[in-house]
Amino acid sequence: MPFSKGFKKSGSKKTIKAPSQKLAAHEDVKINGSLEQSINFVQDLLGTNVDMVIRRFQVFGKFPAAMLYFCNMVNQTSIHSDLLKPLMYTPPQIDRDSIELDQLKNIIINDALYYTGSMLESNLTALVESILRGCTVVVVEGIGDAFIIETRSIEKRSIDQPATEQVIRGPREGFIEPIGTNIALIRYRLQSADLHIESTEIGRRTKSKVAVCYVEGITNPKLVEEVNKRLSKIDIDGVTDSGYLEQFIEDNHLSPFPQVQYTERPDKIVANLLEGRVAILVDGSPLALVVPTVFSQFYQTVEDYTERFLLMSAIRLARLLALMFSLVFPAIYVSIISFNPELIPTEFAVAVAGGRAGVPFPAVVEVLIIETSMEVLREATIRLPQQVGGALSIVGVLVVGQAAVAAGFASPITVVAIALTTIGSFATPAYNAALALRLLRFPLIIMAGIFGLYGVMIGLILIANHLLSLKSFGVPYLSPLIPGDFQGYKDLIIRGPLSWMTQRPSFLRQIDRVKLGDAGTKDNKGHEEPAPRPATNNKMEES
Amino acid sequence: MKEESTRQITVIQTAAILVSTIIGVGVLPLPLFAVRAADSAAPLITLLGMVVAFIGLALVTILGKRFSDKTIILYSEDIIGKWPARLGSVAIIAFFAILTSLTAREFGEVVVTSVLKQTPVEVTVIVMLLLAAISTRNTITTFAYIHNFYFPLLIVPVILIVALSLKNAEVINLQPIWGSELQGILKGTLTIAALFQGSFILSMVIPSMRNPQKAMKASVWGIIIAGGQYVVIVAAAVSVFGAEEIKNLLWPTLELAKATSLPANILERLDAAFLAVWVTAVFTTLLSSYFLTIYAISHLFRLSDHKMFSFFLLPLVFVMAMLPTNIVQMYDIIENVGRIGLFITIGYPGLLLMISIIRKKRGNRNEGKSMDETG
Amino acid sequence: MKANQWMRPVKLLCVMLIAIPLLTGCWDRLEIEERAVVLGVSIDVVREGAEEEESEITHTQGSVPAPRTGLVKVGVQIALPGRIPLGPGEGGGSQGDSSKTVWVIDVVGHSIDDAFMNLQQQISSRLFFGHLRVIVVSEEVARKGLENVNDYFRRNSEVRRMAWMMISKGDALSLMKAAPKLERIPTLYLMSTLDEGIRMGKFPKDYIGIYWSNSSKKGQEGFLPFVERKQEQNVEVMGLAYFKGDRMVGTTKPLEIAGYLGIKGVNPAGYRVFINLEGTRETVMTYVTQRRSIIDIQIKDGRPYFKIGVNLEVNLEEKMNEALFVDNTEIIKAIERQQEQAGEKFYLNIIEKTQEKGSDIFGFGEQLRARRPGYWSSKIKTKENWQRLYKDAAFEVKVTVNVRRIGMKAR
Repeated sequence: MPFSKGFKKSGSKKTIKAPSQKLAAHEDVKINGSLEQSINFVQDLLGTNVDMVIRRFQVFGKFPAAMLYFCNMVNQTSIHSDLLKPLMYTPPQIDRDSIELDQLKNIIINDALYYTGSMLESNLTALVESILRGCTVVVVEGIGDAFIIETRSIEKRSIDQPATEQVIRGPREGFIEPIGTNIALIRYRLQSADLHIESTEIGRRTKSKVAVCYVEGITNPKLVEEVNKRLSKIDIDGVTDSGYLEQFIEDNHLSPFPQVQYTERPDKIVANLLEGRVAILVDGSPLALVVPTVFSQFYQTVEDYTERFLLMSAIRLARLLALMFSLVFPAIYVSIISFNPELIPTEFAVAVAGGRAGVPFPAVVEVLIIETSMEVLREATIRLPQQVGGALSIVGVLVVGQAAVAAGFASPITVVAIALTTIGSFATPAYNAALALRLLRFPLIIMAGIFGLYGVMIGLILIANHLLSLKSFGVPYLSPLIPGDFQGYKDLIIRGPLSWMTQRPSFLRQIDRVKLGDAGTKDNKGHEEPAPRPATNNKMEES
Repeated sequence: MKEESTRQITVIQTAAILVSTIIGVGVLPLPLFAVRAADSAAPLITLLGMVVAFIGLALVTILGKRFSDKTIILYSEDIIGKWPARLGSVAIIAFFAILTSLTAREFGEVVVTSVLKQTPVEVTVIVMLLLAAISTRNTITTFAYIHNFYFPLLIVPVILIVALSLKNAEVINLQPIWGSELQGILKGTLTIAALFQGSFILSMVIPSMRNPQKAMKASVWGIIIAGGQYVVIVAAAVSVFGAEEIKNLLWPTLELAKATSLPANILERLDAAFLAVWVTAVFTTLLSSYFLTIYAISHLFRLSDHKMFSFFLLPLVFVMAMLPTNIVQMYDIIENVGRIGLFITIGYPGLLLMISIIRKKRGNRNEGKSMDETG
Repeated sequence: MKANQWMRPVKLLCVMLIAIPLLTGCWDRLEIEERAVVLGVSIDVVREGAEEEESEITHTQGSVPAPRTGLVKVGVQIALPGRIPLGPGEGGGSQGDSSKTVWVIDVVGHSIDDAFMNLQQQISSRLFFGHLRVIVVSEEVARKGLENVNDYFRRNSEVRRMAWMMISKGDALSLMKAAPKLERIPTLYLMSTLDEGIRMGKFPKDYIGIYWSNSSKKGQEGFLPFVERKQEQNVEVMGLAYFKGDRMVGTTKPLEIAGYLGIKGVNPAGYRVFINLEGTRETVMTYVTQRRSIIDIQIKDGRPYFKIGVNLEVNLEEKMNEALFVDNTEIIKAIERQQEQAGEKFYLNIIEKTQEKGSDIFGFGEQLRARRPGYWSSKIKTKENWQRLYKDAAFEVKVTVNVRRIGMKAR
C-alpha cells in the first residue's frame, strides 16, 4: 500500500487524532453549567451554518435551556412533539414547584424524555461532534452535563431492485446508502446469534462507519483478524464509498484482476457469510465488499442457485465461454488472418482475403482501431442519459459499422469478430472482472500481431501465471480449481445439484464445513442455519 | 497475509509436476527416436525407456523419503561429505542449465521451421526463456499450482489428436510388435529414457510436500501418465505413418497434427494450433528445469531466496542455447547430452542411496524442522 | 518494506524494457490478402528447346546442367482475392465463369523449387502453400520419377498432408486451366471429385500423405489417382496410377479401382457391376454396399502364398429384361455365384497386372512383414527384394457374395 504509506508520512504527526484544528484546540473543555458559555462555544464553531438551529426555551417553564441541532438532519416534527413538548410541560406525576436544580437531570431522563437513544455528556467537543452526527443537544442552565438525543433522521431512498445485479428469480431487495438499513437487511435474512457485526470508523474527516460482518463458528477467526488488521491500517481523510476500502485491503495493487468482490444484494452477502467469508459494509455506500474472493465468483450469479441446476449449469457454461471469448477472440482472429490462414477452410480463407482486399491496414491495426472505438462507444453509452444512450448505440454500432465496411476502412469479418467479442464481454456478471479481461485483450492483440498464435499463447500463459500467483486474503485466486478442492469442483464449471454440496468448499478454511445435514444431524446444524428460507439462502454457494 | 506452512504441495500436484515436466518438446521428435531404434517395436521401446526412467525416479523418491526435509543438494552432503557432494551438485546444476537451454533452443527451432519462418530463432528462444525466468520468481507452492493448472492442457490436445488420427491408423504398421531389427535397442532406450529426465525435479519438490511419505505414489502416477502418453503418441504415429515414413519426418508428432482435421472442417489442420497449445507444455518443462537449476544454486549457497538467480542465469542459458550451429548438430547434442545426463539423474542418486544405506544415514525429521527456511 | 514494494514492478519494468526492442518486429506478419494463395500446382515436362524460357534467377544460364529427369514446367493456380465474394450468393457476376476467380500462371525450372523461385520473381505477393489442395503431375513426369516432387513438398512445412496428388493423362496444366461450373474455385472441384469418391465408395483414401507413407513402406508401393480432363472442363477418374519406388509404372482401368477396394476391404463400398447370368443373355446390375477382406499368408516352397477372402454385400439395382424374375432364392443364388466367379477372376487379374510391374500397391509385403517377421527378415528385408519377390508370390482369391435386397420392386 504505497499510497497510504506516503499519506501517513506527510500528514500524520499533528492531525492524526483530531482532524479539525478548531476542535483540537478545545479538546478537554467541559461544560461549566453556564448556558450562555456553552451556546457561545457551539456558535463559535458551527454558528455560520444556515442549518444550525439554536432554540432557547425553559424546561418545565422554569429552567432556561437551549436545544441545538442541524435542522436538515433531524425529523423536526418529532422534535417538536416528542422532545420539545415533554421538556416544556411538567410530567403529570411530578409537582412542578418542588423540582430543584439538582434533581432536574434525573427527572428529565427518567420522567420527561421519550427518546430511547439519549445520554449525558459533559465534554464540549463531544457535544459538537454529536451535533455533527445529527443528534440533538439540550443544554440546561446550571447542569454540568448536556443531553444528547439520537434524533438523526436522514432522507434516504427506498429499498429498490439492485440496478447492477438484476435477477429473474430471486429476492428483489438491494442495499441502500445508510448502513443501518443495510445491516437490518442482512440480519433479517440471517437471524442467528452467531452473526457478528463489528463496527469501526474510518476516515479522519468523514468518520464513515465501517461494519465487518461474519458468522462466528463458520468463518476462520484468522481471516476476521486479518481483515481487521488491514482495515485498521487504513488512514485516509475520507471514505465515500466501499471502493476506497477495496483498494486499500486488496493484496496486489498492480493486478488488473479484482481481488475483492462487491455486491448490492443482501442475499448474496448472506450466502457468502454462510460460506465463511467476511463482508464489509460502509456507511453511505450501497455496495458491500466480500473477502476473500476467488475468480470463479465473477462468473457466478445468484440465479445460478435459485434456478434448477441443469439449466443453470448450461447457462454458466455459456457464460464461461463468453468470458474466454471476450479475452482471446480478437487475438486469435488477428493471428489466423495474419499468420496462419491455413487453419481455416480454403473457401472461407479465399473469401476472407477478398473481404480484406481493400482494407489499407494490417489486421492488427484494424482490430485495434475498431476495438478502441468500441470501447469509446461503450463508455459514451454509459455516460449519456438513458434516453439518448439507446439511440447512440444504434447509430454507433449499426451505422458507423456499416459505413466503415462500405468505406473499405474495415473488413466485414473484423466487425463481426469485434461485435461478438464486445457482446461476450457483457455476459460476464461482474463488471470489474469483465473490465479486467477487456483490458487484457489489448496486449493479447498486440502479442498476436507480433508472434501470431505463438504470441497469443505466451500472453495467455503470462496471464494464467499471474492468476496462479495471485491471492486474496491468503486464498489462492483460482481456488477451487487450483489447488484442487473436490467440494469446490461441484460448483465450479457447472453448478451441481444442491444435494451434492454437502460441505462448504474447503479453500476458505472454515471452522465448520458441514453444510447439508441429513435428518439425523439436523439438531446440530439447527442453530447455525435458522435463516427463514433454508431452501434458497442457506445452500447457496458463492455469489 | 496469513502465514502459510511451507509444506503445501499435495500428491496430485506432485504428480502433475512430474507429468508436465516430462511432457515437453521431446514429444515432437519422439516417434522418430523410437522408430530409428526399433522400427515397428517403437511403442515397446518407449515403454522400455519409461521403465528405465522410472528406476531413476524411484531412486530419487526413495532418497527423498529418507531425507524428507532436504533437497538433494543438502542431503548429498550428509551422505558423501561436503566437497564430493558439492561437486555432484554443481554437475546437477550445470546439467539442468544445459537442458534448459537445449529445450528452449529445440522449441525455438520447431517454431521457426514450421510457423514463424522469418522470425529469428534468437527471438523465439529468448521469449520462452524470459517467460520461464519470470515465472520462476514465484514460490515453490505457486510453482506447483502452475504445473497443476496446465496439466489438462498437456493431456487433452494429445488425446484429441490421437483420437482424430485413429481413422487413418492401420494396425498392420504396428506389427510385429516385437520388431524385426533390434540393433539400436539399447541406445534408443537410453535416448527415450533421457526424455524423462525432467522428473528429477521431484528431488526439489519432496521437502515441500505436505506428506513426503506419499511421494512414491506421485512418482508412480506421474510416470504412468507421462509414459502412457509417450507410448500412445508413438503408437499413433507409427500406426498412421508406418515406421519407414517416420524415418523421413523430423517431427512426426507435429506431422500427425498436420494430417488431422477437426470434424466438419472447423480447423482444417491442427499443426499450428497444436504447436500453439504445445507452448504450454514446453513452458512447463522449461520452467521446471530452470526452477531446478536456480533452486539448486540457492540451496548450494544456503540462500533462502531463489528469485535473485532467475535473471542472472538468463544470459548464460541463452548463450548456451545459441551454441549449436544447425538443427542436425543440435539433435546430436541433445541425444548425447541426454544420455550423459542419465549418469546424473539415475547414476548419482543410485550412488547416494547405496552409500546412505551402507552408512545407515537417515534424515532426522526434527532437525529438519528447525532449518525450515532452507526446505 | 517500502523499497520492496517498489522494487518488484521496477525490476519487471526493466526486464520488459530490455525485452521490447527484441520483440518489436512483426517478422512473420503477412496479411491473408497479401499472400498469393496457391490452390493447385501442375507439373509437366518441358518440350524440346524450352530451356531458353527460363530466367536466370537461381543460377546463370548453362551453369547447372539439366537434371536427369529434365526440366519441369510448373503451373500454379492462385486465388484472386476479391473475385470470390464473402458469403453465399452475394454478387451474382462471379457465378458465370469460375476461371475468373483464379489466375493460372506457368514457369519453367530445373527443379520444383527452382520453378517456384522463377515464379516468385514474376509475381508481387509471396507464394503461400498453406491452402494447396491439389497437385497434378503429368504422366510423363510421373514415369520419369517423382523424387524431386516428393522431396520438395514433404520438406515444405506449409503443404498439408491432406492435399491430393494426381497423375493426369496428357497435359497437367490443362487441369489447372479447367473451369468447372459446379464450384467457384476450380481446384476445389477437382478435390471434391475425389473426396466425394471416397464417400461414395468409389475411390480409396489416397491423400498425398498416405501416398508418401505407402511408398516409403518396405512392403508396399504407392499409387495415385489417374485423371483426365474431359470435354465439359470436368474431370474423370481414369483409374489408379501405380508406382514402383518413385516411378509410375502403369495404370489401371476405372473398374479396377473397385478391385483394389475389394481386396483391401475398404468401406463404404459403392461400385456397380454388370452380372451376366450363366448361359443366358440376361444381365442384372448389382450394387456393392459393404466389403470385407481377410488375407491369409502361408509360406509354400519358400514362396509367400496369399489367400484372400473377399466378402461382398450386394443389392440388386437393375435388370435388363422383364422376363427374368428375381423373386426366388434360386435366382438370387445364381446371381451370387455368378458374381463370385467373375469377381475371383477379376481380382486375380488385377493382382497379376501389378505383379508384372513389381508394384505391390496392396501392401501384401507389409502383411508379410507384419505377420511373418521371421521369413521377412531372413529372406526379404529390403524394398528392392520385395519388389522382385512380389512377382513370384502366389495368390488365391475366394469371393463370397451375399445379395441382400432387391429394391422396391417385388420381382
